[in-house]
Amino acid sequence: MTTDDPLVRFDGVSKNYGDFQAVKGIDLTIGRGEFVAIMGPSGCGKTTTLRMLAGLETPSAGTITIDGNVMNDVPAHERDTPMVWQSLALFPFLNVKENVEFGLKMRGVEQSERHGRAMLWLERMGLKGFEKRRIDQLSGGQRQRVALARSLVTEPQMLLLDEPLSALDAHLVIRMQGVLTRLQKELGITFVYVTHSQSEAFAMADRVVIMGHGEIAQIGRPQEIFRAPKTRFVAEFVGRNNILPGEAPGQELVVAADRMTVSAEQPEGRAIAAEFVSEEFAGTGIICYFEGPDGAELKAQVTEAQLESLAPEPGKRFWLSWAPGAEHVMEAA
Amino acid sequence: MSERPSAYPYVWRLPLLIWQGLFFVGPLVLMVAMSFWLVRNYRMEPDFILDNWDRMLGRGYFWDAYWVTVWRATLAAILASLIAFPASFALAFRVSETTRRWALFFLIVPFFTSYLVRIYAWQVLLAESGPINGVLGWVGLGPFTMLNSGFGAMVGYMTLVLPLVVILQTFSLANIDRNLIEAAWNLGANPRATLVRVIVPAAKIGLIVGCVFAFILSFGDFVSPFYLGGSKPPTLSILIIDTTKSGQQWPRAAVVAVMMIVTLFVVAFAAVGAAYGRRK
Amino acid sequence: MMRGTLFSRFYLVALFTFVFAPIVTSMVFSFNSDRFPTVPLGSFTTHWYQTAFARPEVWTAFGNSLVVAACAAALSTALGFATAYTDFRYGFRFKPAYLALALLPPTIPLVIMGLAMLAWLGRLGLSGTLTGIVIAHTVMGAPFAMAICRLRLSQMDPALEAAAWNLGASPWRTMRSVVVPFCLPALISAFCLTAAVSFDEFIVAWFVSGLNKTVPVMILEILQGNVDPQINAIGTVVFLTSMTLVVVAQLLILKKSAT
Repeated sequence: MTTDDPLVRFDGVSKNYGDFQAVKGIDLTIGRGEFVAIMGPSGCGKTTTLRMLAGLETPSAGTITIDGNVMNDVPAHERDTPMVWQSLALFPFLNVKENVEFGLKMRGVEQSERHGRAMLWLERMGLKGFEKRRIDQLSGGQRQRVALARSLVTEPQMLLLDEPLSALDAHLVIRMQGVLTRLQKELGITFVYVTHSQSEAFAMADRVVIMGHGEIAQIGRPQEIFRAPKTRFVAEFVGRNNILPGEAPGQELVVAADRMTVSAEQPEGRAIAAEFVSEEFAGTGIICYFEGPDGAELKAQVTEAQLESLAPEPGKRFWLSWAPGAEHVMEAA
Repeated sequence: MSERPSAYPYVWRLPLLIWQGLFFVGPLVLMVAMSFWLVRNYRMEPDFILDNWDRMLGRGYFWDAYWVTVWRATLAAILASLIAFPASFALAFRVSETTRRWALFFLIVPFFTSYLVRIYAWQVLLAESGPINGVLGWVGLGPFTMLNSGFGAMVGYMTLVLPLVVILQTFSLANIDRNLIEAAWNLGANPRATLVRVIVPAAKIGLIVGCVFAFILSFGDFVSPFYLGGSKPPTLSILIIDTTKSGQQWPRAAVVAVMMIVTLFVVAFAAVGAAYGRRK
Repeated sequence: MMRGTLFSRFYLVALFTFVFAPIVTSMVFSFNSDRFPTVPLGSFTTHWYQTAFARPEVWTAFGNSLVVAACAAALSTALGFATAYTDFRYGFRFKPAYLALALLPPTIPLVIMGLAMLAWLGRLGLSGTLTGIVIAHTVMGAPFAMAICRLRLSQMDPALEAAAWNLGASPWRTMRSVVVPFCLPALISAFCLTAAVSFDEFIVAWFVSGLNKTVPVMILEILQGNVDPQINAIGTVVFLTSMTLVVVAQLLILKKSAT
């Protein structure tokens, strides 16, 4: 996950559509063998960034370098940047094996070798025996694996993924996350993964790139992004935290929900009075929602036992506090 | 796609422009121009005279033909829409998905039979001593004169346009959101109110498109008015054919043709206005 | 509700009877011995078929029709596909005008098309030739082919083409190995439909044809004479030819999508 040995460099890359600037002069370096997730709300420019990397869009300004070569004017089909699509984009008129062989065929690999390599990947993806199936005869998870095999069969040094799990059921998403991380470690190649889901990004990526309004808002390891969001935008996008006014004017603090303590009595030190609104079961614990001063929404994660002892009711008044050092001071917007 | 300047898009874009420019726009422009040409000694000479226009538009028989054609096409369009609607309604709401698919398939079949042959069959069926009068004779009716009349022509128009109108209406009715209809019932609308206030407005575009197609096809058809309507009074298409086929009066035929196109444009624009215009 | 359903059934039967009456009649009368048929029917005969197909000009006309239909269908399908693909893939200035040009021909009455074509092809020295008929029928068929191809393309995931480029296929290669295979059922349908349109079209062909007659033009000329049941015989054969075309196309599509 070193960026001293970069595979991809974006230098001041912009993309304009008429008057609309989808990507605004971003700089980004992606290392060999790194799993990078680009994350942001829809319309933030993450997909455009990925498509520029694949050669499906041409940058309006700046340069994109892959492996030391400037790629700006290299058309998509002359690049080695296979992609897994949100819609998967499997060819419906070809069977499973023909889909997997497609890239090899386009590269002029002869038939017997094509067959061998395709079968190898189908087996690796647990699709043995399905090679003659049509795409519409497969389940969602199987299609996903065909799409992966199709992209990886040419042994690229980098795989691009554009929200590949967004069409799957929740339980399959978790399983596919496991498949993807394992694959990436085994192959040792670079994954660039675009998603709007922070759980996917945080679960898999070595580094996360948060984008907003065509700009990169923050780059960092998942923990850094979560504990130390640089700006209010990142903090709000990541969620499960509280944005509070800081001591200096204009300064803001962020405290993660799991570092908030809820008490019925006012504790010592800094604490905020808030009215209980509702609670939500969230797997690892219970998120309680409060209304703070000026109607601000505040969140705290508690255990079931704590919830019981607090016995909250809507409108009931509590104190929210945090240990010194649990807060993070954000940059002014 | 990073597109280096490439021939690729133009290979797909240009053929239509070239072909339709050369063989669709070209002929129509020539025809309009021709309506201003001079005919001398049975030969056409390019010119710019209003003679042909004067002659055609100054004659009673042109206007007789014009109004007969407009009237018949209007009648055919309304009649076809009214006759088709109960059938389309039944196909859209009262039969199973499978039945609807088969019915639509069978409505397409007539497009693959010769229209001429079907009209010929009607000639035989509707003849004074034909099978229909034969059957009616057994129950003591008739014989009726059905050929060479407005009735005959209308039977022909219906043969031409009914399948298409039913198909278009069925599609637009079947595409109405069922929740809309259920919501109307739920809000207490009786079947008649649901039909008039919900179903017909929701399917408006399809109904109008069907009606307009029926008008266009009937307006331009010459087979029904000629072989079933007895060509008296002549319609505009019959006028064009008579004028063209008998000698070299193409410029006068062109005048009739331009008048027809103008009329169709007016009708089409009015229909588009009605279909997409303000909804109450 | 029951009464409504019953009425619906009855109405549908009546409508389909009207639509199919002339088709069935012409088939039945093609085997009926009476020249002026009425009820009850005369005896069974194949006389009208024998008479019709003993005439060499009938065979010539069939030959002409098939050649014209095949050429016009191939050209219409190619033109329609190129136009549909352009509409699917590109936005450009004047696109509404471009699409209007593509879809306008069917709204022009055939008699007018016939007159305009007659004058224009005469100038190009093509009137009276089969080429002239092919040209006219292509103009008329291309919009239908375009509509069918466009419908199919709208079912295509726009990422499919990009996926092929992404896997190393050039735009031309992508057209050949992705877009065309995807559209194949539509291309076959478009070919058959435009062939059938051409096979039945008689007005423009009549204006343009001269001595090279197609089948419907010949029917038209027989019709201008006396009542002649040969028309039923020829019409039945035309119908069976067209329907065979359609059914074969359907079977091809089903077989294709089954593999």
